[in-house]
Amino acid sequence: MHAPSPPAFPQIWRNPTLKIVVCMKETPSTEVPKSLGADMRLVRNPSDTIINPFDEYTIEEGLRQQEKLGGDVIILTMGPGTTNDPMRRALAMGATSGVLVSDPALAGSDAVATGRVLAAALKKLEADLVLFGQSSADAYGGIVPSITAEFMGMPLLSYATKVEVAGNNVTIEREAEVGYTTATAPLPALVSVAKAINNNPRYPSMKGIMTAKKKPIETWTLADLGLDAAQVGAGAAKERVTGATPVSTQRRREIYNGSAGAAQRIFEFLVENKII
Amino acid sequence: MDFTLTDEQLSIQQTCRAFAEEAIKPIAREIDEKSEFPLALIKEMGKMGLMGLPIPEQYGGAGADFLSYCLALEEIARGDASVAITMEAHISLGSTPFYLYGTEEQKQKYLVPLAQGEQLWAFGLTEPGAGSDSGGTQTRAERVGDEWVVNGAKMFITNAGTPISGGVTVTAVTGKRPDGRNAITNLIIPTGTPGYVIGPPLKKMGWKASDTRPLNFDDCRVPAENVLGEEGNGFHQFMQILDAGRVAIAALCVGLAQACLDESLHYAKERKQFGKPISSFQAIQFKLADMAMEVELARLMYYKAAWLHMQGQPFGKEAAMAKLFASEASKRAADQAVQIHGGYGFMDDFPVSRYWRNVKVNEIGEGTSEVQRILIAKYLDAR
Ligand SMILES: Cc1cc2nc3c(=O)[nH]c(=O)nc-3n(C[C@H](O)[C@H](O)[C@H](O)COP(=O)(O)OP(=O)(O)OC[C@H]3O[C@@H](n4cnc5c(N)ncnc54)[C@H](O)[C@@H]3O)c2cc1C
Repeated sequence: MHAPSPPAFPQIWRNPTLKIVVCMKETPSTEVPKSLGADMRLVRNPSDTIINPFDEYTIEEGLRQQEKLGGDVIILTMGPGTTNDPMRRALAMGATSGVLVSDPALAGSDAVATGRVLAAALKKLEADLVLFGQSSADAYGGIVPSITAEFMGMPLLSYATKVEVAGNNVTIEREAEVGYTTATAPLPALVSVAKAINNNPRYPSMKGIMTAKKKPIETWTLADLGLDAAQVGAGAAKERVTGATPVSTQRRREIYNGSAGAAQRIFEFLVENKII
Repeated sequence: MDFTLTDEQLSIQQTCRAFAEEAIKPIAREIDEKSEFPLALIKEMGKMGLMGLPIPEQYGGAGADFLSYCLALEEIARGDASVAITMEAHISLGSTPFYLYGTEEQKQKYLVPLAQGEQLWAFGLTEPGAGSDSGGTQTRAERVGDEWVVNGAKMFITNAGTPISGGVTVTAVTGKRPDGRNAITNLIIPTGTPGYVIGPPLKKMGWKASDTRPLNFDDCRVPAENVLGEEGNGFHQFMQILDAGRVAIAALCVGLAQACLDESLHYAKERKQFGKPISSFQAIQFKLADMAMEVELARLMYYKAAWLHMQGQPFGKEAAMAKLFASEASKRAADQAVQIHGGYGFMDDFPVSRYWRNVKVNEIGEGTSEVQRILIAKYLDAR
């Protein structure tokens, strides 16, 4: 008797145990004017908290990968956890479950501490594919993905405009000045998704909304992750915000009267301002 | 008394508001101008679970409560009336009868694809000669062997002729009742049944992107099993269907009135005359205040009627009142919205001219205002 021959390499690689983790930040609503407290931290109003708009693309990408490959999409959030609205919304969009890392000691954490915490949570989750947004709409740092990758000792493929998992590898495309760059890494790996992926994030489905409450959300503390309060929070922050000035949006206008030399002046203006 | 919406109700409301703003409003003018049924949009709404919102999960729906469905309709109507009426007619008139009166087999066969938004279904009650007098049905169905043979005509039937219309449930006279009155039965007629002729789309003043057709039945044969509910109980069934439908229409009207208020408030703040925004004139402020008050009143009325319905309590009177008040309030709102816009309000470039054309029919469909008043008076036992 022959042993059954191994199946030909499947065209589409499906893995029912694949763990796709989407790191999602809860950010203040873009419709509400932002303000800073005396501690130079953003004033957060739980009822005006939304999914970081950049992360909507990431969640969509996670769900699309899951539809193709199988497995679970887990939403990972570090935050105060005063409202579960953004997490529930992500679950209503179709994610499988959620993990909230919340601990009073985390208040005031900088990007390094955030990366440290996320890395610990991702290790505990044994994530295969980790997806990040390109940045957050409140802080615009854009460095958490690389810091997390560093803590995990895993590859990060950044600013993906296309993500494809085949076999045990993830391959991305990234827009370059001319054309695009392709990069590949073995799983497990981290990928940050660029807004330019333009994947049309879905609306939560009505069924999703009705079942979101039945989906599990676990809450983990620092102790659950084996981390020390001294490594995180405002005390451990390497960076301190010392001031903030609103962007001046005043327009500079120059009106040129008379036709003589107008074209020349417009040309000079465009050159002076490095427009041409 | 607690008016707090549940997390699910809030979430459905917010999602529909965003969807109406981002996906419906931008195409509303074009589909109206072209009188074009928005097939792709309706399919997308089906995928989102909107077309089966209050139908239980076991039949392919989202399993939301009746108020959630009304909240969703209000938001969708705020985006566009044609889209909202397509959803309302499909759910309240087309799908609900299967859920309420269908056998398990009929539910699996017909309701599941409807709730999943793969098909639309129509309800054919009105006839060329029987409108407000809906019991005056002339369409007849005769039992021949194990088939029903249907002959007659229906008028103004919503959703009957779209590319995804699965069929229509019609009322037909199937004999006499012991009291000598006509026995009316609901029959399921799938699209494509020989003898079922769907007329060309009717040209309308408003709701132009919704599908409204005259239907003809010419020796149209369906199997005996295509009876929906009890034979001879059709009149009672559609009275029940229309009660809940009126609450949904009231919610739809609130959405239209809210859209009139939104546009008016925005415009009044931008438009300057005599060196000031017109919103600073008390005459305009009073119009806005009245509109806001009527929107709120109409909303409270449909909330209460929906609540009674969900509690399993009688709600027919409240449904008639909500439908009557909301439809008339939305007409007043549209009228004032055009007035606030001045000449621009009369132009197609501003949505309020479309709103004005769209509100009128709510005083007619699913029971005219006169019929609602007759009903309310009956509840008062005024004779
Ligand atoms: C766009 C559109 C979509 C529709 N969709 C559907 C659908 O999907 N399915 C369906 O079955 N029907 C549908 N209808 C039909 C609608 O329900 C009827 O038009 C409505 O019930 C009125 O009937 P009618 O048009 O025959 O008017 P009539 O009944 O002829 O009424 C004419 C006038 O007389 C008044 N009147 C009638 N009887 C009395 C009375 N006893 N006392 C006082 N006043 C009275 C009416 O209020 C009205 O003002 C639709 C109609 C429209 C316009």
